[in-house]
Amino acid sequence: MKKTFKNIETILNKSLNSIETFIQSHPKVNFLFGALFEATDGLIRSTKNTAKNPPFIRSSMDVKQYMGGILAALFFGWVLPAIYFYGFMCVVPKLIVSFVVGVFVVDLIWVILAREERINEGGFVTCLFIPAFLPPQAPLWLIGVGAGISILFRNILGGVGHNLVNPALFGRLMLTICFPTMVVSGWQEPSIGIPTIKSLMYGVDAVTHATPLIAFKETGETASFFSLMFGANTGSLGETCRITLIITGIWLCVKRIANWRIPVAYLGSVFVISIIFSLMVGKTAAPPIFQLLSGGLIFAAFFMATDPITTTYSQAGKWIFGIGCGLITVVIRNFTSIPEGIMYAILLMNLLSVPIQSIIQKIKYRT
Amino acid sequence: MKKAYKKGFNLIETYPVKFPETVILVKYDGPVDNFSFSFPDKKVEHIIVNLCPTEPWALPNRVILRNATHDFLDKLEAVRTEYFPDSHCHVVVDHLESNLVNELTQFKTQKDWLSIHTMEAVYPYDAPVLIVKNILGLDIAFGQNTIEDGILILDPQNVTGIFEYYIKETEFNTRLIPISGTGLKDNKILKVKPGTPIKSMLELYVRTDIKYRVFLDGLLNGTEVKDLTQKIDWSTKNIIVIEERDYKTPFPYLNVNELLFTTSLMGELRRCVYCNFCDDICPVNLEPALYWHCYDRGEKHKARTYALEKCIECGLCSFSCPSKLELLQVIRECKSLK
Ligand code: SF4
Ligand code: SF4
Repeated sequence: MKKTFKNIETILNKSLNSIETFIQSHPKVNFLFGALFEATDGLIRSTKNTAKNPPFIRSSMDVKQYMGGILAALFFGWVLPAIYFYGFMCVVPKLIVSFVVGVFVVDLIWVILAREERINEGGFVTCLFIPAFLPPQAPLWLIGVGAGISILFRNILGGVGHNLVNPALFGRLMLTICFPTMVVSGWQEPSIGIPTIKSLMYGVDAVTHATPLIAFKETGETASFFSLMFGANTGSLGETCRITLIITGIWLCVKRIANWRIPVAYLGSVFVISIIFSLMVGKTAAPPIFQLLSGGLIFAAFFMATDPITTTYSQAGKWIFGIGCGLITVVIRNFTSIPEGIMYAILLMNLLSVPIQSIIQKIKYRT
Repeated sequence: MKKAYKKGFNLIETYPVKFPETVILVKYDGPVDNFSFSFPDKKVEHIIVNLCPTEPWALPNRVILRNATHDFLDKLEAVRTEYFPDSHCHVVVDHLESNLVNELTQFKTQKDWLSIHTMEAVYPYDAPVLIVKNILGLDIAFGQNTIEDGILILDPQNVTGIFEYYIKETEFNTRLIPISGTGLKDNKILKVKPGTPIKSMLELYVRTDIKYRVFLDGLLNGTEVKDLTQKIDWSTKNIIVIEERDYKTPFPYLNVNELLFTTSLMGELRRCVYCNFCDDICPVNLEPALYWHCYDRGEKHKARTYALEKCIECGLCSFSCPSKLELLQVIRECKSLK
């Protein structure tokens, strides 16, 4: 087994090498496809670069593994549970559309037009986010549009390392502006209990039902915490099964890919602030535990708010960032007509993180 | 006592390097340098002898002690009585080597000029700034000669050297140099006469089937040897030869072990992603990415405002950066800007 793999590796390596020499020896081919080749090659092989300055050895962690970690966490955190709850035919086509439009169309065209030398693997992460925060019955074209806008926006800003705000959330914001009804309808009841082949393939018959947060806004009813935790409630495709999201999120924090300060500050502040609001206005504010477990909060706290480049660099700033997100989320949920405020909270705090960073820097290093 | 450092990195765990028990003498007939030790002209109050190397490629202390710890301490006592009579000696050992710690504590019972300190073998806790801060609680600046504060950091090999050459007045002209790395057939500990060119030390041991590069005094903040006719001197600590990985490897994420301990960058250059790896690992609690941001914006002079002078140039920030930024280089460039 290992040997066959080694052989395949050697053959692959040789053929890639010969393609590389071919491309580099033909200037015209290089002009058209050089960047494309480099980009795909970068996903398969390591670079030739060696350390020219001290330190002469480097740790094995690189941005690819970093993004790979997030992809793996997202896969186990929401893709698998969503297949169980809504069926294979509901989830996988969405992912395919998202990837094809985002990475293979928009990103590839960008690579050729802008002559970038690589496809940024951050795009995969963005594309995996898009279906997760849309309703299960969202049409495929909506997902395609969302992925396209997100990746385009990210590339215009300059890719990983230049993002001002989380590109996936920006895409979602555009969808909310352009198709306001599409993104808040089509909440489907998940299939629960022992799965059958049919339910794994197609989910149960599409019965729509308001999400717990909308239901609370309308009737003041809260769903049971147990069903919220294990995903037996309506909601966006990726946000319902909170238990797997929490487990994979904690794994990310242990691996230090996500900074633990942000989920702790975000969830903690939502909890504390909603206690305060409950005491102040009584029953009209959603109770704290219900706040924590409903909507996309867990998903957002572990996966979206922790998107590294859009927060502050300073560790103290990360606390402020998380608390700010929590405050805005609770305020929007309780005092506006919009049931869910996470998207606005994170986008706003993404923008605010720039001044927060510079203020903290000034305080820390004033002489 | 409050710790002087924050994180650091356990290099010994990540890059285990095994040395054989035996020491090999390298023959060389050319001109050699005689041993000389420049005794400080200032009064020495504290002598620090570090027996706890924190880098895997450094000389293991068993080679110096050779199961005769008392012998070594007697030499240290002789050196102290002869040359630094008013000073206090501090011997630093790894807290895991309990046998050695016991031996030292036994010896110490009769001596009041000696104290024993234990330390974790975590890079770069043995850097002068950190070791002085940790043992004596004194703040010294990076790059400052510790003699100015009356502190002498004595290389264990020099203890033997001073004893043999100046007190016993016997011949002393060899130095122990460990050589290691993936560019060698075997790791070895060599006994070399300083003055020997590096080339003639290594020629028997390097692998001929690969490209390799040679480094002096550690991979993290050492220097590269471009010219192999360069000579060993009395301050050389170790030599590392590692493979030059300047070709592509398929599926690097599956072959991490193959790439470790080579010069491979293990990834490609990106922009800073605010991952906080660099400030988590920095032993003196700085935020290296800030320097890179200044540098990237073309404002090198602003880097000074972020406590740049505290950096001890250990190189851990560049080591851990997933975007493979040359942080140490940036720091040095910003520092050199007057
Ligand atoms: S080289 Fe980097 S890790 Fe080391 S002290 Fe300086 S800033 Fe900190
Ligand atoms: S380790 Fe590198 S990428 Fe991460 S914050 Fe520091 S400079 Fe930026």
